[in-house]
Amino acid sequence: MSDFKTSDDGLLQVSALDAGYGDLQILTDVDMNVDDGEYVTIVGPNGAGKSTVMKSVFGLTTYMDGEIEFRGDEIQGSNPEDIIHLGLSYVPQNGNIFESLTVRENLEMGAYILDSVPEDQIQAVYDRFPILEERSEQEAGTMSGGQRQMLAMGRALMLDPDLLMLDEPSAGLAPDLVEEMFDRIDRINEAGTSVLMVEQNAKEALRRCDRGYVLVNGENRYMDSGEALLGDEQVRQDFLGG
Amino acid sequence: MGASATTARGRELLARLGVAVTLGGAVLLLIDLLAQLARVDLWIIGGELAFSQLMNYLWTGLTLGLIIGLAGVGLSLTYSILNFANFAHGDYLTLGAFSGWSVAYVIAGLGTIDLASLILVDAPSSNVGASVTNTPVAVVVGLVVAIVVTVALGLALDRAVYKPMRNSEGISLLIASIGVAFILRYLAALIFGTGRRGITAPSEIPSMTVLGVQVNAHQLTILVVALVAMMAIHLLLQRTKIGKAMRAMADNRDLARITGIPTERMITATWVLGSGLAGASGYMLVLARGTLGFNDGYLLLLLIFAAVILGGIGSVYGAIVGGLLIGITSRVALVWVPGEFGRPVAFGLMILFLLFRPSGLFGGVETA
Repeated sequence: MSDFKTSDDGLLQVSALDAGYGDLQILTDVDMNVDDGEYVTIVGPNGAGKSTVMKSVFGLTTYMDGEIEFRGDEIQGSNPEDIIHLGLSYVPQNGNIFESLTVRENLEMGAYILDSVPEDQIQAVYDRFPILEERSEQEAGTMSGGQRQMLAMGRALMLDPDLLMLDEPSAGLAPDLVEEMFDRIDRINEAGTSVLMVEQNAKEALRRCDRGYVLVNGENRYMDSGEALLGDEQVRQDFLGG
Repeated sequence: MGASATTARGRELLARLGVAVTLGGAVLLLIDLLAQLARVDLWIIGGELAFSQLMNYLWTGLTLGLIIGLAGVGLSLTYSILNFANFAHGDYLTLGAFSGWSVAYVIAGLGTIDLASLILVDAPSSNVGASVTNTPVAVVVGLVVAIVVTVALGLALDRAVYKPMRNSEGISLLIASIGVAFILRYLAALIFGTGRRGITAPSEIPSMTVLGVQVNAHQLTILVVALVAMMAIHLLLQRTKIGKAMRAMADNRDLARITGIPTERMITATWVLGSGLAGASGYMLVLARGTLGFNDGYLLLLLIFAAVILGGIGSVYGAIVGGLLIGITSRVALVWVPGEFGRPVAFGLMILFLLFRPSGLFGGVETA
């Protein structure tokens, strides 16, 4: 077990990962793990490679070296289309809804890999985000930032994934909605879904998560419980603005 | 007043001037049209135009527009899902037309006319007597064959040319498609020859007069087939899982991939639909004109592009509406300009339209 892992047989295991885009290497030797039911946050300065970790898990980067395991199966270098079958869902920061499709069609696409539309799961998403039921026939692109983010999460929850990966879920939200968004993520995690989240709003994210990673220049810098990271003088000064 | 405010004001004035000139022009044309219909002749305004002639332009423009629209749907779909403008699309129409009419000729003329001249669509059209009423089975089977052959052609070309280039830039694919266009066009010329030939037998096409317009059975066939096809496309895209997934992929390809939508299967479905519509359009273009030449699809491609751009590139419904506008404009323009200028007028309309609405009629609506 490396210094940056808490277990070697968790849900998601990233080991000594090198990855990037084309010839450009972004991540060097990154270790990371998410255990069953855990809520893990990745923080760090801009350009640290936070999003690249998630994209790499979903096969959207150029894989170079190392391992990514999900439930013990090696998935590094897999085709993005196949990852969702394993029980992982991913909400990218941008372009995370089908704007020209209706709200309901977006949710249907979330369950594309199933043979038929899972009405009970759509209802479950509606129960979690009632505004989506009200807007079910509306074109998704016409909704507000907060509603779009809910739809993006709802789409990702359609297959009831074991691990939900969220890239900057609070980005672009009005300040009063940010708190609400974090509350929703808490509830998703409490219901048993593991969460891996990248957040710019580092303090709030660390307050709420079980564990956090600080990534700098594409490398692991710190790993500890959210509380411990918030309490660490060095981390506070370097990454949390004092 | 700051420089930027001055610029903004200047732009606004220019825009207003543009609107004024355009509206003024439109009003003048309308007055002229009414004057012509009323047989008034005042200096540059007016002249003589029979009402039935205007209706005839509208009707033939409508049938041409339906064909352009159907072909445009295919072009628009491949553009939005594969991210390149397929310059070979027009030649898909030509190949569809030749293959379909070749089979229609064989069915219609088998036993009475030399087989080789039937297969090469070379037999005298009056001897074959092909028309939707005289040889209905041949015409219908020909349409099906045109669709099937063009689908096979589209899939084969994707396999051979476009699939190996899947991750290339749109511009490389576009240039490759120009190459494909040349190959297809001269393949058609090599097999069938370069001469324009009559295909349908004019004497065998029944027609009637509605509101002073000659409406023939082939134009009605185009109307029915096009409307059915458009309704089918609409239902496919809005109601079926594969249709919704095609729209999702056109909308946001990366998100479609991480949602588990199988990219290659969607691309195949896009080619099947786009090529099939191209084959049907090419076949029906012959129903509209009665003749066929190896250049026909290529020549129509410019109007198809105009329709797709006018409608908002990437939009299926935009392509249909754009097709109708372009088709009707190119015919109604004959009120004011000689025949060979119908095409430039259609392009003029497109350019004028884009000045006011740069993203096209349905632009930004994507495929939905």
